[in-house]
Amino acid sequence: MALTFPFAAIVGQDEMTLAIQVVAVDPSIGGVLVLGDRGTGKSTAVRALADLLPPIEVVKGCPYRCDPTQPANACPVCQAKDPKTKTGVQRQPVAVVDLPLGATEDRVVGALDLEKALSQGVKQFSPGLLAQAHRGFLYIDEVNLLDDHLVDLLIDVAASGENLVEREGLSVRHPARFVLVGSGNPEEGELRPQLLDRFGLSVQVRTPQDLALRVEIIKRRDGFDKDPAGFKAHWHKENQKLQKRIVKARERLAQVTVSDDMLMLCARLCQQLGTDGLRAELTLLRATRAFAALQGQLSVQAQHLQSMAPLALRHRLRRNPLDDTDSGARVQRSLQEVLAA
Amino acid sequence: MIRDNAPNAAPIEAWNDALTCLQILQLDPHGFGGVCLRAPHGPVRERWLHALAQLGLPLVKVPGSADAQRLLGGIDLAHTLQTGELRMQAGLLQQADQGLVCLPMAERMPPALLAPLVQALENGQVPATHHNTLASNTRFGVVALDESLPDEPGVGGALQERLGVWLDLQALAPSDIDVTLLDKAQSSDSPEVDALHIQLSPQALAQARARLQHIQASDEQLHALCASALALGIASLRAPSLALRVACAHAALNGHSALDTDDLGFAARCVLAPRATQWPSEPLPDEQSAESAPEETSEPIEPPPEPPHAQKNAPDEPHEPPTEPDASPTEPSAQDLQEMMVAAALASMPPHVLDKLVTQAGARQGNSSGRSGQTRAGQQRGRPLPPRPGRPGGHARLHVLATLRAAAPRQRLRHPPPNAQAQTTTDATRVPRVRIRAEDFHIQRYQQRSSSCLILALDASGSAALHRLAEAKGAVELLLQQSYARRDSVCIVAFRGAHAQLLLPATRSLVRAKRAMTGLPGGGGTPLALALKMAHEQAAQLKRQGVTPILVVLSDGRANVTLQGLGGRAQAQADAQTWAQQWQCSGHRALWIDTSVQPDAQTRALAGVMGADYLPMPQVQAQRMARAMDSLIANHTA
Repeated sequence: MALTFPFAAIVGQDEMTLAIQVVAVDPSIGGVLVLGDRGTGKSTAVRALADLLPPIEVVKGCPYRCDPTQPANACPVCQAKDPKTKTGVQRQPVAVVDLPLGATEDRVVGALDLEKALSQGVKQFSPGLLAQAHRGFLYIDEVNLLDDHLVDLLIDVAASGENLVEREGLSVRHPARFVLVGSGNPEEGELRPQLLDRFGLSVQVRTPQDLALRVEIIKRRDGFDKDPAGFKAHWHKENQKLQKRIVKARERLAQVTVSDDMLMLCARLCQQLGTDGLRAELTLLRATRAFAALQGQLSVQAQHLQSMAPLALRHRLRRNPLDDTDSGARVQRSLQEVLAA
Repeated sequence: MIRDNAPNAAPIEAWNDALTCLQILQLDPHGFGGVCLRAPHGPVRERWLHALAQLGLPLVKVPGSADAQRLLGGIDLAHTLQTGELRMQAGLLQQADQGLVCLPMAERMPPALLAPLVQALENGQVPATHHNTLASNTRFGVVALDESLPDEPGVGGALQERLGVWLDLQALAPSDIDVTLLDKAQSSDSPEVDALHIQLSPQALAQARARLQHIQASDEQLHALCASALALGIASLRAPSLALRVACAHAALNGHSALDTDDLGFAARCVLAPRATQWPSEPLPDEQSAESAPEETSEPIEPPPEPPHAQKNAPDEPHEPPTEPDASPTEPSAQDLQEMMVAAALASMPPHVLDKLVTQAGARQGNSSGRSGQTRAGQQRGRPLPPRPGRPGGHARLHVLATLRAAAPRQRLRHPPPNAQAQTTTDATRVPRVRIRAEDFHIQRYQQRSSSCLILALDASGSAALHRLAEAKGAVELLLQQSYARRDSVCIVAFRGAHAQLLLPATRSLVRAKRAMTGLPGGGGTPLALALKMAHEQAAQLKRQGVTPILVVLSDGRANVTLQGLGGRAQAQADAQTWAQQWQCSGHRALWIDTSVQPDAQTRALAGVMGADYLPMPQVQAQRMARAMDSLIANHTA
């Protein structure tokens, strides 16, 4: 496994790193969309994600990495097993799977295992990237350039949490719950609104213009390139600290309460901004809760809402496709009005 | 003649840099991504490639026709079928480990190849192609050969961004290199000898590599690097990072144990300069023109090492007002270093390149990663179609079910007689259950929606501007919204005065389209022929990329500027007729929206010549026009 840049060593881009941490605390928020120019550290941050997360327990030998504690949602392989046999448990790092732009459908959804079919005459399903990403993260760089038919696939799977394959004489249904992480440059094309909606949070990144910060980034990057192992070891402690924080936040998440006032605020904000559907409220609620947990607090405050509202709502506003004003600013403005009221 | 275009880009210098790049590649093949070489096929490129081949690195050529399986490795189908045992095959990228991947015609690479390549380059490993195999590590550099013409999109942005050194040898004539050759190796004239000169001996290589590990940049140097990148308008942080790596390699190559100005200058020339998107806006102290910077900043600081550099810049000096020389510092500070680097970067840029940069305001031409053959190939992606007989391999995937179905009725015929089978019972495991022959093979087919691109030719001339430019702009905005809904791309050609201008190369970003349009001034003559010509060229280019072009002309049709950019109504009309006919010959659809106050027969006739649908604007509400375009496209796709 190639070493990845340690997450703790990422400087600048606070909004992006925050969004990623929030999603790591509560994957049900539904993923992060990172929009910005090339060379802003988007992919570095996403690939470093695996650092943040503790290893997960999976059923031994299961190609879909099923959760041993949830046999109800198991994949066909695990369900076919005799329930009386004891299942082995294995610890594996969380998967961060790259979905390259030109990937074929075979690779993404899985296909008939050609090798088995030809050499042994067995009809078997060979899982694709969606299966690999189960319980982990699916990262799509340049998501706005993704082919339409792949987008269709993703939209369906991301919503239902399971991948249904009906092709080549196969009929397979397997769980594929993953957190969608996309990045792209909005200058090069827009995202379909349906796909946009599937992302829980959206972040806009710019390259830092502060010279000192840039120097620091280059320095760290160079340090990493020269000696990846040493650099990683140097940051190990910090990474562990971050990981602990996220694990703690996850435990705390269930206890975080949201007062009715806060719910009203969320609803009013969404109403004022005219977001479609209730997904906006739900995401906003989950995100503020996760953020509060990350901050070590047990109730959601207005300040949490203030930091999360632009992330959760920015991409859900109805807008003229020709309008290029920053939606984040609009969200902030409305939020101020709602808070003041 | 070529050299007249770029008097500044001293050929010797460029060639020397190109050769140094080769040595750096040998020293650190996968440290800085690789090289993007922009040069036409010819003796210059051949010589460079020849030298590249002599470096002694594993060099794997990836043709554009390679399939993803060959690239990333996978099951060796033939062997597996023959023996019934799983046999994996290393892909091209694994073979290139510790070496180089060479991409000929990189600008035509399909995204299906480019994306996994970039992914492997970034991660240093090839992802598992099969669920029970592991990812394999591979570190390689990429040499992308870009043969695109100036008006064509170059190498895909995602790849190009990750390649450290961008070389441009377009302006080099073979004679330039020969001079260099004589300079370098007095007695010899064969390229082989030259190539041998370039290759580092194993011993020197080991030493330099050991040195590379320990080279550290001082804080001032890092500071200067970042500042000069910023000053040149390079937002990406990857650029300074790669530049640092190149500078370190350059230092190691020259036997230094620390970076000096020479190394930074080289990195600025090869890494930063080609990426520049603006003139340094932070004023260099006391500088009226940035171009005069090289003489004074580079000379005092680094006195002897680069005589050609100084010579080259000398002829420039008369153009520029001589500026007061800086007090030459004894120890270069970050500020001086930055100036030096910006200067070095600027000096290596031919002037016309910057002109283009200025007019384009930093917008990069290419807008997606790879853009060829996206829509024509019907065998890899898209919605499935019924399978048909054919040979698997290349891009075609075997449709197993259909193949088996085709083979099924013939099984009995193909089984050998029982006694023959008895003889071979020893390897009964070898007897396949199903006998499949080549004629049974069926391959999968997919249908891909061909995308289309709207070319908007917008008349911004005086006659149009007076009355209806604003209206036309509004109409264009409506068209843009429509094309947004259909996920089409748009490309805007504006014409006025003596030129037609490509306001916006094909893009799907409507924000950019709108921005480009709102800034468009009006006034001047109507060079209709020039606009049609440009639209025609764009259409041909789009066609090559597999995109269907559709032209929408918004003009009053009163051409009064000829192809040569001169006045003359009669000739202008004749020219316009010629290019209108050309368009009709191309067979693409077109829509002419007459923006004149009184629609006249002449314009209608011209539209007829083009084979365009004609729509006079006076009656059109903007809404109706958008509908008209919709139906045009509906007809087209039907």
